[in-house]
Amino acid sequence: MKYSVNFHKLQHWRWFLVWALVVSGLLAHNAYLWLGQRITPDTDILALLPVQERDPVLQQSFTHMVDAAQQRVMILIGAQEWEDSKKAAKAYTQVLAAHQDLFDITSLSEKTQGDWLAPFQQNRLALLTAQQREQLNTLDADAWANTALSKLYSAFSGPKLGAFQDDPFGTFDAWVQERAQETPVRPREGHLFVADATHQYILLPMTLVPPAFSLTAQEKVLPLLEQAAAAARASLGANANKIEIISTGVVLHAAAAGQQAHQEVSTIGVGSLIGIIVLMWMSFHSIKPITLILLSIGVGFLGALSVCLLLFDRIHLMTLVFGASLIGIAQDYGIYFLCHRLGASQVDSKTLLKQLVPGLLLTLACAIVGYLGLALTPFPGLRHMAVFSAVGLLFAWLTVVCWFPHLVQANTLKSGKLVARYNRLLGVFSAIKIFAQRSRSIWILAASLLVVSFYGVAQLGVNDDIRLLQTPPKHLVSDQIKFGKLLDAPTPVQYFLVRGASPEIVLQREETLKRALDPLIGQRVFSGYQAISNWVPSLKTQAENRALIERKLLDKEGPLKLIADKIEEDAEWQTKLSQHLLASNQTLTVENFFQSTASQATRHLWLGKIDNTYASIVAMKGLKYAEMQQLSKLATGMEGVQWVDKIAEISSVLGRYRHNMGWVLLGAYLLVFGLMLHRYRKDTWRTLAPAALASFFTLALLGISGQALQLFHVLALMLLLGIGVDYGIFMQEQNRHSTTKIDGGASTQSKHLAWLATGLSAASTLLSFGLLALSSTPALRAFGLTMLIGTALVWLIVPFFIHAKDN
Amino acid sequence: MLTLRIFCAKLLFLLIISSLIAPNSFAANPVPAIQNMLAKPKVLCGRFDQTKHLVGMKKPLLSNGRFCVLAGKGVLWRTLQPFPNTLRLTRDEIVHFQGERVAMRLEAKQEPVVRMINSVLFSLLSGDLSQLESLFEVEGSADATTWKVNLKAREAALAKAIGTIALDGGAYVKNIQMNEASGDRTSIVFSDIKTGDTVITAEEAALF
Repeated sequence: MKYSVNFHKLQHWRWFLVWALVVSGLLAHNAYLWLGQRITPDTDILALLPVQERDPVLQQSFTHMVDAAQQRVMILIGAQEWEDSKKAAKAYTQVLAAHQDLFDITSLSEKTQGDWLAPFQQNRLALLTAQQREQLNTLDADAWANTALSKLYSAFSGPKLGAFQDDPFGTFDAWVQERAQETPVRPREGHLFVADATHQYILLPMTLVPPAFSLTAQEKVLPLLEQAAAAARASLGANANKIEIISTGVVLHAAAAGQQAHQEVSTIGVGSLIGIIVLMWMSFHSIKPITLILLSIGVGFLGALSVCLLLFDRIHLMTLVFGASLIGIAQDYGIYFLCHRLGASQVDSKTLLKQLVPGLLLTLACAIVGYLGLALTPFPGLRHMAVFSAVGLLFAWLTVVCWFPHLVQANTLKSGKLVARYNRLLGVFSAIKIFAQRSRSIWILAASLLVVSFYGVAQLGVNDDIRLLQTPPKHLVSDQIKFGKLLDAPTPVQYFLVRGASPEIVLQREETLKRALDPLIGQRVFSGYQAISNWVPSLKTQAENRALIERKLLDKEGPLKLIADKIEEDAEWQTKLSQHLLASNQTLTVENFFQSTASQATRHLWLGKIDNTYASIVAMKGLKYAEMQQLSKLATGMEGVQWVDKIAEISSVLGRYRHNMGWVLLGAYLLVFGLMLHRYRKDTWRTLAPAALASFFTLALLGISGQALQLFHVLALMLLLGIGVDYGIFMQEQNRHSTTKIDGGASTQSKHLAWLATGLSAASTLLSFGLLALSSTPALRAFGLTMLIGTALVWLIVPFFIHAKDN
Repeated sequence: MLTLRIFCAKLLFLLIISSLIAPNSFAANPVPAIQNMLAKPKVLCGRFDQTKHLVGMKKPLLSNGRFCVLAGKGVLWRTLQPFPNTLRLTRDEIVHFQGERVAMRLEAKQEPVVRMINSVLFSLLSGDLSQLESLFEVEGSADATTWKVNLKAREAALAKAIGTIALDGGAYVKNIQMNEASGDRTSIVFSDIKTGDTVITAEEAALF
């Protein structure tokens, strides 16, 4: 007998102990992760984007372009006077020079040393600009002889690329000049120099030593750059405010995004916690419920972190930001239990739990179904969020079920005054309901509400812009724009991808593409392009150019003869000059171009060999976004050429998933309906109607206020389903409990408890998601706003759907 | 037609490869004395005779013409013999005229080095050595009325490309001699130099 009691007791505590073991495991794992491994959250926004699996070459081209830019930090320091610019730049670099562990300052002398023209000089006859090729085909021998003669006699032909005999017709000079025009940056007295109408800038290119997305980089780089800028200003004394410093670099954006997310984690997370604590205090007048709920949330968080890191090896800061709002739902289970504990004073906790478990299980299942929607997107970040949230909820739920009955006994809780006042509200709802049932005006009201809502929903536009995911601070954007204008830099996210079986085919295809592009420069669709074939023409073109020069310029009876006659030289001179020119006949290849320092600025355009194909990038400068369609059209039908627009691609993915998610949402409603049908039978619709109506009205409000629908609104509606159904279930469960007891007083009390649980959890959900609506990330803001309106509406609507028979 | 492009390409190259200037520190710096000697008029015009000796050619190439240097405005370089053409350099552009027709125009907006090219050329023709000191080592001597300097590019690659430049003169620059590493040589003799607002012809002034 005694044994069986002990056994019974042990069994009674079994789940408590098992869960205690699990929680200790979680604690140990988290301690190991944060203290031992010192993991830090990801802040790279690109990590949140879908991995392009279909086309490895395309994917690689993008990472290649991004990698080329990622570690770079570019600073422009400009003043009206060149001397001031030099002084400021010197002060700036002096500050950074002391931190070689952070910055590798590219020195100009290294770059210019060595004869960068050497590989081209060996191959002068093969290098012609498009304009010259045309002139060679159209101009006659006289014209070319005149060109050479006027060059011969020209004033100040002093410093030049070589002697007259190396380039008598100036074709190579013109080609070099065209190459020099690919960038407006010029060396000047040991600096890189660029100018606009008012300022003379010095460009300081730097390479970041630690990874741009590491926390070290972000924490140390910004203050150091600010310090350097201050030093540069100080160096000019009274002219300090005339100096302009333009900074660009991925690390600056990463740091800004990181800072923003850090701030939001603390405001949303901490704000939400404080809100809940105040609420609980006002409701229960005790520390115990607060600590219990915090305990369940804490275990939920630890569990979510552990599982996420075990599954994905990393966690994104955005996941944590989103996870911070998890508090809003994780508390529901605890609140539901505690509210009922408050009422059922004559029942012991174990029996109470047995009564509550079916409802609790349903709420958990419904919330997880809601989060499943997130896991269906191809965005790794959203999947992480889904797993994080679902696991977090599961762990919080298990904490409530395994621990709460043992930690809270009957009669340990008392309700505060607020609870009584709040419960009276329910009476108001009932009064409205009774009044409405008697009056016909309710139908007019409902009808007009529906009309207005349909109008609102019809007003909804859509917006799938990638900028929803992140908005960099304004000063960074304006710096970026100014920098792009000054340096005439190509855009890294829109370009042509050219492929072929060999380097030669790639170069030939680039040339075909460029011939099609050239007329568009005249139409101002873009201002220019960068391509490897600008520097290294295909072997075919090189041979053609050489043949063209030989035929048109070096022919025995050609321009050379006319020149010889004019300057009274003989046939021997002509032959010698011809032979001298023909002697530079090495072929220029991509490999020997890469050995030249001249290739540094364009090397990243060559992707090389990827899976048996060769690929390269033709980068566009000064692209007009409105005209971009012309470029994508141009690529269709051109063999081996593809227009890549990463921004449009991401936007289209966002759009596609907004669309699909709409259907998933409808599916989720059906699924939840099916889940609950077994328990609630013909009252099932009452649990779903509040969420559905609230969602509909929320959409209408968004439409009326002129918001454009985006993926994140739809994702929020998914969550709203989870939360809304919770409240629906709470309110229906009380109905079931009251039917088991005939006692009318108990029925009213049970209804009040459910209403209290709904109110407490809705209020704290509003607090947490309300704060999310303050996020400066548009996506999170949209999500938060939808939850804010939706949750408030569900809360208000739910009382109208309580089963009417107890009235 | 291509002359100017070529001309610019060369100067451009000169500037592209010029770099890293060490502080100037030799004892007998003639620059202040020369600066004092130079007249620095607002407008200066004269005749030039150019002789070029090119590698592989027996005979020198002769040409001549007129030039004007307008302080603060720019330079006009008119070759008259054997092929007439005109070059005008101002702060923001280089324009090449063939008769009245603009054969070529290079703007600072498009090519930022234009301003630097023009300032170097202006300094060369007006003998403003202090401006040239940032690019060249200036070595030379000066007595009461004449001076003579050799310019050597401070940067090795630049020196290799352009060789040396020698200037001499008194109140004005009289001779410029350029010896290139390739073996090509150019000498320019200035004569008939006049100053004052009236020396520039109406036709020439109209170009500014």
